[in-house]
Amino acid sequence: MTRNTRILMSVIYWAFIVYLFVPLALMVTMGFKDSKFIGFPIRSWTLDWYAAVIQDTQVLSVFGYSMTIAIATTILSLIIGTWVAVFLGPNQFRGKAIIFALACLPAVIPGIISAIALRIFARLIDIEPGMFAIILGHTVHNVPFVALVVMARLSTQPKSHIEAARDLGADSIVAFFRVTLPYLKPALIGAGIFCMLLSFDDFVRAFFLGGYQPTLPVLIFAKLRSGMSPEINAISTIVLIMTAILGLWAERSMRRLNKGS
Amino acid sequence: MTFWGALLQNGAYQAVANTLFKSQRRQFWILASLPLFWIFFANLGPIVEMFWIGFLDSYPPKVGHEPQFTLANWAAFFQDRVFIIPFFRTLAFSFIFTAITLLITYPVAYFLAKHVSRKNQLLFLLLLLIPFWVGEIVRTYAIMILLGNNGAVNLALKSLGLIDRPIPFMYTGFSLGVGIIYLTALYMLLPLYSALEKLPDNYLEAAADLGAGAWTRFRRITLPLSKEGIASGCTLVFLISTGYYATPVLLGGPRSTVFAETIAGFFHVAGD
Repeated sequence: MTRNTRILMSVIYWAFIVYLFVPLALMVTMGFKDSKFIGFPIRSWTLDWYAAVIQDTQVLSVFGYSMTIAIATTILSLIIGTWVAVFLGPNQFRGKAIIFALACLPAVIPGIISAIALRIFARLIDIEPGMFAIILGHTVHNVPFVALVVMARLSTQPKSHIEAARDLGADSIVAFFRVTLPYLKPALIGAGIFCMLLSFDDFVRAFFLGGYQPTLPVLIFAKLRSGMSPEINAISTIVLIMTAILGLWAERSMRRLNKGS
Repeated sequence: MTFWGALLQNGAYQAVANTLFKSQRRQFWILASLPLFWIFFANLGPIVEMFWIGFLDSYPPKVGHEPQFTLANWAAFFQDRVFIIPFFRTLAFSFIFTAITLLITYPVAYFLAKHVSRKNQLLFLLLLLIPFWVGEIVRTYAIMILLGNNGAVNLALKSLGLIDRPIPFMYTGFSLGVGIIYLTALYMLLPLYSALEKLPDNYLEAAADLGAGAWTRFRRITLPLSKEGIASGCTLVFLISTGYYATPVLLGGPRSTVFAETIAGFFHVAGD
């Protein structure tokens, strides 16, 4: 590769990074603007919008609601996803490729299609739109991600681990809980945080499956439709910081996983 | 004695375990029960039901009227301009956005995989990852602030003296494209990166020794060997970009109505 193309590519890389970060940086900045009017230039600064958000009981209750959904979704996704991975990982059987493809299906179906399909389906199985419908929708979406991460980790587990446990008198269940599950721990932490992020950030499923109580993204969307305001920036910035912390934490546990410790 | 040891000694547990694990076959089906149930019930069920309702002449079911099988809904879909125009527009938009995403992210992925030292790769990759943890709505809003009439781009152009009045970026196909690419680029980047990372350096060196120019090396070696990454990246981006709802509502205009908005519109009219 010639020197020029190398320089060109590094310029493209950094330009792309700028494209990724500048909008978010602008959004954060705008939350400190001392005016109701969104736009540049910013002449004076304030923390009032953050104070308003912290005192806004609606925002706080919606935040709690979103958190509850995210935690419930994460627990369910981890259990089902791990079970799917333990089933599909080591076992060989006819039609496995099809089952595997079906297991991954919700990860690639366009969000709107899956949201509407689940809404109709929730009606069929008598789940009212609301918290449980959203949890179902998010869990359906997240299970494939958990299953893939856990399968990847499972494939690196030495067979001797389980054989040793069996020799020491453990049956399948005990061997799973005492040997396999601790081995999977870093993968489960990483996948779990990822589930929290996906659920907490999700808009389209929460919008179509939810009842009257909005989740945080749905609330931001509703506020946005009635006009931009720095208050939305303040809420978004808080969400941004939370997601960044969660994401970095997930990244760290996944990296440890790759090093194989 | 530990909890697990006690459990293994417990008579009731032993009886249960013995029935559960009596044969390999039974053990397999017990393990398979929940995954298979979940896959067919939660993954396949809603899709099949939605497809099935497409053939019914009335939904939700009315009292005293058994739904009849019909193809009318499908015919209406293909004849009604309200459906068909947004449908094909969505496909066209997604196709264009996917192509642009590929063009932008390929050099980025290549740079990351081949020109960044192993030690720094993780850091550079992390820089790309961080913005993608943020949700759809927040990132869409960020783009609105970037491109608005009083947004950063217009301000920058104005202060450079290039324009007198703001360019109306918002509510067009352009703003929608910037937003969608912002949301989906990662799904292209990661497959490309993992394909390019596997490409052995010595293939390229060998080709260079044999006198192949930069363009020939790219066309004959790099491109064919990253084909899989390109294919999976494009599929992912295409599928995912058709599914956004809030972004087109907030960034798009009347002339860029996508299918998701049409579906949602009818859905809300129908009530359920």
